Amino acid sequence: MSREAYQVPTASGNNSAPGGGTNLSRTFDTEGVTMNYICGDCGFKFPLRRQDNIRCQECGCRILYKERTKRMVQFEAR
Amino acid sequence: MAPSAGKKRAPPTAEEIDERNMVGVNKETVTNTTSNDYPDNYANEEHAWDKDDFRRSFKVQWHDNQQFEAQFSLIGIDASIANAFRRILIAEIPTLAIETVFVNNNTSVIQDEVLAHRLGLIPFTGSKKVICDVMGFWQKPAEGEDTWSTTFDTNTVGLSLKAKCTHNKDAPQDSKDPKVLYHNAHIYAKDITFDPLGGQSEWFTEDDKIRPVNPDILIAKLRPGQELDIEMHMHKGYGWDHSKYSPVATASYRLMPTIKITQPILGEDAKKFVQCFMPGVAGVEKVTRQEARTPDSGYEGHEGELKVVVKDAMRDTVSREVLRHPEFEGKVKLGRRRDHFIFSIESSGQWDSDELFLEAVKTMKRKCSVLKPQVTNMVYTF
Repeated sequence: MSREAYQVPTASGNNSAPGGGTNLSRTFDTEGVTMNYICGDCGFKFPLRRQDNIRCQECGCRILYKERTKRMVQFEAR
Repeated sequence: MAPSAGKKRAPPTAEEIDERNMVGVNKETVTNTTSNDYPDNYANEEHAWDKDDFRRSFKVQWHDNQQFEAQFSLIGIDASIANAFRRILIAEIPTLAIETVFVNNNTSVIQDEVLAHRLGLIPFTGSKKVICDVMGFWQKPAEGEDTWSTTFDTNTVGLSLKAKCTHNKDAPQDSKDPKVLYHNAHIYAKDITFDPLGGQSEWFTEDDKIRPVNPDILIAKLRPGQELDIEMHMHKGYGWDHSKYSPVATASYRLMPTIKITQPILGEDAKKFVQCFMPGVAGVEKVTRQEARTPDSGYEGHEGELKVVVKDAMRDTVSREVLRHPEFEGKVKLGRRRDHFIFSIESSGQWDSDELFLEAVKTMKRKCSVLKPQVTNMVYTF
């Protein structure tokens, strides 16, 4: 599949698109899912949506980090 | 003359026996390295291994016996046995170490895998009796079994590490030290807490609970907003599985060095000779009147001059520096005693060093008792 043909799977979008199933547990809307991001400069944590500018709402820094997973991760101490 | 010509060889003199036991350390070569005390190696000499002979000649000398650092000599033993002890010490005495790390949160700069590996290498200690007698080995649950079906209080120790770095509001204005500026800037091994499972709260008393041997091992550095929230499971294991289970930091041996002065070394040469060795190995003494009067001693007419004496050959590193100088050529013979092993055992902290050696002997005995019936069977089969 070419890059252009790829569609971001959304609940409202075409169901035949790859990955776009009914078993997606996260809620999507036309704006996309909201995610929390952390500013790389001031450390401020804030939610961003798909359409939003990639910019910190406090200081305008354009470097944002995703939050770490909330799930437990298991490692072998080797 | 043919070897069967009948004339019996004279039994070896004490000097000869001494010479056989010596590894020659020369300027560029090492000679006579293999053991030779086995049957048929010398004509008309027995040399079969004999228990009573061994019991008579074997000696153990302790040089230093601290809790975590022991040095002792095994004298009159074959290299294969000494090496077996060393290998058992490193790889076959079980200890408790962190095996599984459950990371709930880690926002520090150190990656989860690296952190887990670091945690695994921290040596822990606790009630020796409980670790030795009560704690058993954990087994991986079989395919399809529940994850925790093999985890019990008798084979797992729970630990946790929770820390969050925050700004220190009371820090002085001009301070630059992160440890002053922030709370929990450095996370040390002492911050790991022991979570007793099941009966462990009764088995491990407060003084003897599971704790790091060295409380000041730095695990991670944090900055404000960063957080660690980790749970850990410790299991018993063997050094052959992973070096974190090895009970020793080092367990090694070296052969006893020998320095034989074959011709007298006097005057300025004597001072230079002493400089060729580690401090305390060689020293100078004045030639006594009696020595100066003894014919053929090499000291005739040198009364009062300085001569070299070997003080403590055990401290020698056998650097062979002395062999580089032409003035000492032919006057000194370096070597090592082939059956004198100077062991040095440094415990990582869970067991005491002398306990470890006794445990190694016990392990060796156990392994021999496995081997013995097999050898007997082999003899019966053929």
